[in-house]
Amino acid sequence: MQASDNRRKITVGIFIFLGLAIFVVGVFTLGSQKKAFVNSFTVDVIFDDIQGLKSGNNVWFSGVKIGTIKKIQFYGTSQVQVFLNIEEQAHKYIHKDAAASISSDGLIGNKIIVITGGTPKFPFVEDGDRLRVNSTLSTDDIMKTFQVNNKNLVEVTSDFKILAKSLVEGKGTAGTLLTDQQVAEDFKKIVANLKNTTASANKMAAELNTFSKTLNTKGGFADKVLTDTVVFARLQSSVDELQKTAGSAAALTENLNKASAKLNQSDNAIGVLLNDQKTAEQVKAIMLNMETSSKKLDENLEALQHNFLLRGFFRKKAKAEAEGNKQ
Amino acid sequence: MFITLSDVFQFMGRFFKEAFMPPYEGRELLKQCYDIGYKSLALISLTGFITGIVFTKQSRPSLAEFGATSWLPSLVGIALLRTLAPLLTSLIAAGKVGSSIGAELGSMRVTEQIDAMEVSATNPFKFLVSTRVMACTITIPILTFYTALVGMLGALLNVAMSEGTSARLFFQASLESITFLDITASTIKAVLFGFTIGVVGCYQGYYSSKGTEGVGKAANSSVVIGMFLIFIEEVVSVQFFGLFRT
Amino acid sequence: MVSKTTDIDREKVIEIKGLHKSFGDYQVLRGVDLDLYKRENLVVLGKSGTGKSVLIKIIVGLLTPDAGEVKVLGRIVDQISYRELLELRLKVGFSFQNSALYDSMTVRENLEFPLVRNQRRLTRGEVNSAVEEMLDAVGLLQTINQMPSELSGGQRKRIGIARTLILRPEIMLYDEPTAGLDPITCLEINSLINEVQERFHTSSIIITHDLTCAKAVGDRVAMLLDGRFERQGTFEEVFATDDQRVKPFYDYNFIQ
Repeated sequence: MQASDNRRKITVGIFIFLGLAIFVVGVFTLGSQKKAFVNSFTVDVIFDDIQGLKSGNNVWFSGVKIGTIKKIQFYGTSQVQVFLNIEEQAHKYIHKDAAASISSDGLIGNKIIVITGGTPKFPFVEDGDRLRVNSTLSTDDIMKTFQVNNKNLVEVTSDFKILAKSLVEGKGTAGTLLTDQQVAEDFKKIVANLKNTTASANKMAAELNTFSKTLNTKGGFADKVLTDTVVFARLQSSVDELQKTAGSAAALTENLNKASAKLNQSDNAIGVLLNDQKTAEQVKAIMLNMETSSKKLDENLEALQHNFLLRGFFRKKAKAEAEGNKQ
Repeated sequence: MFITLSDVFQFMGRFFKEAFMPPYEGRELLKQCYDIGYKSLALISLTGFITGIVFTKQSRPSLAEFGATSWLPSLVGIALLRTLAPLLTSLIAAGKVGSSIGAELGSMRVTEQIDAMEVSATNPFKFLVSTRVMACTITIPILTFYTALVGMLGALLNVAMSEGTSARLFFQASLESITFLDITASTIKAVLFGFTIGVVGCYQGYYSSKGTEGVGKAANSSVVIGMFLIFIEEVVSVQFFGLFRT
Repeated sequence: MVSKTTDIDREKVIEIKGLHKSFGDYQVLRGVDLDLYKRENLVVLGKSGTGKSVLIKIIVGLLTPDAGEVKVLGRIVDQISYRELLELRLKVGFSFQNSALYDSMTVRENLEFPLVRNQRRLTRGEVNSAVEEMLDAVGLLQTINQMPSELSGGQRKRIGIARTLILRPEIMLYDEPTAGLDPITCLEINSLINEVQERFHTSSIIITHDLTCAKAVGDRVAMLLDGRFERQGTFEEVFATDDQRVKPFYDYNFIQ
């Protein structure tokens, strides 16, 4: 009886010990994954919009998880202050001028904070520092940019149509334009700019094409989250480029407007154009390019409209337009 | 069938009073831990293992529709560690342990064994009730840990055979969406469920009515009321711990 | 028949005055007065359901009285603290009608149970020898490692009495000690009760409806009628009456 009592004691002891061991190992495994027991420091960032970020979400730097979001609170009137818990180890890679942005670890994945940039001429971040915000574009922003860009291109094209028409009809005086060296130079520069713009617009259009194709093949897209991330990154970079393009296109349009105004005013630009065969051809080529690219952009928009992710946006837009038309 | 709340609270109050006041019934507590905990281990582990396999198997088709079978580990991890492990363990324990406590104490009451303890100057509440309630409160969480582990192993087995996922990747992915709050909540729930099983079983048995019918009723209502309360507590605790999630 | 009029000390160990107890609307005890003197065997007779068991359960504090006073060894049972009650219970042994042995324990563990729980300083050897001595006293030393379910009714009764005696109580309360036993075993139990009284110098209340038993062990007999002890005295005194509530009782047992 005494012996069985002891055996029972040992059995219960082992039973409870193993149970607790499972618990402790579980907690430590979880802890090492959450980096709970790693020395860390805190920095904060102030965003206008955190897009549903939650505390516990990951913080990435160069694609490596270096911490988690510790706390989120309102700041000022409508901003949000986000505290990041960053591993001590990552300390010597992040500089004070690094910027944080909100991103996602997959198209339908969790929100994350991505820390980018930072130059060696700045010292390393310290506990309690505040990082800059690198604002990112939401889908809405992307679509807005597309729209503006497209409009600009159409405008530019129509301007050129008028100009070309005038050229063909032989309006204006050649003499004045010849002597007006300044205008000619300006014009050349504009043409060069325009060439660049169209080239990048073309490239971007191609990229967008691939992107929307990937989006439209549903099965393949969800299958490979990794590919999605790449595509998303590419989309972001093309949006960046688009923005640049839009910017330069806007500047260009302005320039062109000035130039054509001048041409119309002084009535003498035509000569130089007529004589300068090369310039004329360039202008024609540009026009062609522009037409193609604006067409492509239209196509892209069309494709995007059919994409299931962005369908909602277009529906909203169409509705808004319809309402606008009614009024 | 439903018992008056004030009686139960009085009963619980008496448990806390008696359980933490000397003399302690260490040997009896050990025996109860052995009977309630260790003897339920095989049954509960087996159930956990099967649940892990079946749950994973059944979840696969719906995830496969999105091509997201790679999310299986995290889905199983959340389901098992947050809810299934404590709930499953407690429900099985309510059936196995609750009924046996109810029947044992009930028959002891009916055959005057409880009175016999009382008149031999032993506090039967301390000896019978406190030890059993404590043993339940201690061993159900322990059993829950076993269930969680074994259930995860079952899920791993299934995932490894179908998707060829490695154990390392499996645990990494499944723990990815688990927080400390989840584990704390599960542990607290398991403690609460264990306490409930013990209190309900002991209450029903200790105050069972005379006659053999009373024993059957005590055993039966230990299980029915125990399971019912466990579900209620599950719902309430999900709400409660939801307050801590941001 | 053994003559039981030994030198009885007139000191009262139990005094009951005006005891009332009812369950719901059913009044079981309606003003019970009863005294138990030191070293006496008092037999309480009565039909089933007349509240005999209720009476002794009140004496050990398992039930509380509605009215009246129960004084055991100078203490009023329902007015002392739980700790004092436990101390008092050490001195009052209670033998249950169906023995109430702990099913999950062996005979040895059954006997040890009250002992190790109340005298924690005893060594293993002391406990063992006390258990063996007591089992020997009831003549069942050979059953020491058996489970209660393996014993006969008479054996269970004896083990139950041994378990009660192991704490060396001053007062013994027997609840239907011969119920459900064959006549021969009844006789054995009767002589055991007398032996206990002689050997351990206990004062006892024996509850029964078995007149053979009452005659064999009772120094004094009290008959519970309509919730009161209307007739007390020696066995012969109690039954020297034509009371229609008493006579059938006697007739059933002795006229066959």
